Amino acid sequence: MSPICTLVRGSFDDYLADALPAPQRRMLRDHLAACPECGELAVSRDPTFLFARVAPEQVPAAEAAGILSAVRTGVSLMEAERRLGRKSRRRVAGLGAAAAAAVVTLVVALQSFPAHRPPSVAARPAPVPAASENPSELSAAALADPGTTSASPDATVYDWNPGAGREEPRVVWIVDRGLDI
Amino acid sequence: MELVYSRERERREVAELSDRDLAIGARGGEMVCFETLVSRKTPVVVSLARRIVGNTEDARDVAQMVFLRVWNEIHRYDERYSVNTWLYRIATNLSIDFLRSSRSRERAHGATLHLVREREELTAADATRTAEDRELNRLFELVSMKLSGKQKAVFVLKEMEDRDTREIAEILGCGESTVRNHLFNARRVLRKEMARLYPEFLRGRPLA
Repeated sequence: MSPICTLVRGSFDDYLADALPAPQRRMLRDHLAACPECGELAVSRDPTFLFARVAPEQVPAAEAAGILSAVRTGVSLMEAERRLGRKSRRRVAGLGAAAAAAVVTLVVALQSFPAHRPPSVAARPAPVPAASENPSELSAAALADPGTTSASPDATVYDWNPGAGREEPRVVWIVDRGLDI
Repeated sequence: MELVYSRERERREVAELSDRDLAIGARGGEMVCFETLVSRKTPVVVSLARRIVGNTEDARDVAQMVFLRVWNEIHRYDERYSVNTWLYRIATNLSIDFLRSSRSRERAHGATLHLVREREELTAADATRTAEDRELNRLFELVSMKLSGKQKAVFVLKEMEDRDTREIAEILGCGESTVRNHLFNARRVLRKEMARLYPEFLRGRPLA
């Protein structure tokens, strides 16, 4: 038994507690691989010592070449996928921009044709309360929208445009009591 | 002819670069650097994956996934850190994921899959290993079945790959005390399983 054997055998507990510095640890492992007596003793102390001497896997050259070839194919596929993704993203962005431009053009065109637009609140004459048999209904309508106007003595036009200037729908309805429906 | 010659020369020059320089080259889009890195690191990655997932066939699949992940994430590589640690991290995480999914597959299909795989093992790459290594690998595969993915990874990295505790903590993204805990628990489980499955082996050591 050499002095190294004594040293190694006294370090088993530290090794198992992961308290050995890296060089000593490596020295112990190398010694266990080379000295059968110390190896036996280590395994009888803790059987997990057995796995410390399993040699790393040897990969045959043909197998390594197979892995490299598979990786190469995978990389090509990934790159092709990436290129396709980039193209379709560009296409979607182009379509989106075209749609947005069409909407803007439409809005601008609609606003530039006053004949198609109902008269705005400011352009209309001051609201005149309609002759109504039910004043509460009128006042409720007037409260809902100050832009209530009357078109004829028997008809009341309710023009409700809460979002003037925004893209809110404008609601116009006419109650004509003169009509006999 | 001249083109083939210059490519060959380029390959030879690249083969002399360090891991770090190869990773930097691959990050810059140099395919030849990436391929050299793959060739150089294949044995390490297959060996680690083999020990965690338990068979060579699956280890090869994991190795391919590792290198594809490396290619995908190469733009994130930070040259201040070791290529090996980065690679080990990817390989360990993918192996643990693979182990988890294969364990759930095995639970679903019973022991048949394991037997088929064992037979494949014997007929393929095992021919290159010595008889004792083969026996030890099989023994480890059997007694480590009760280990969790993390415990197995820590034991493999520490005991079989001889990695430093601090490096293992970096690889697994946890603290050194967690690594020591996993190692302690892994040893306890392995001792128990060896005593349960091979009591005669512990007494008489028939493998040596």
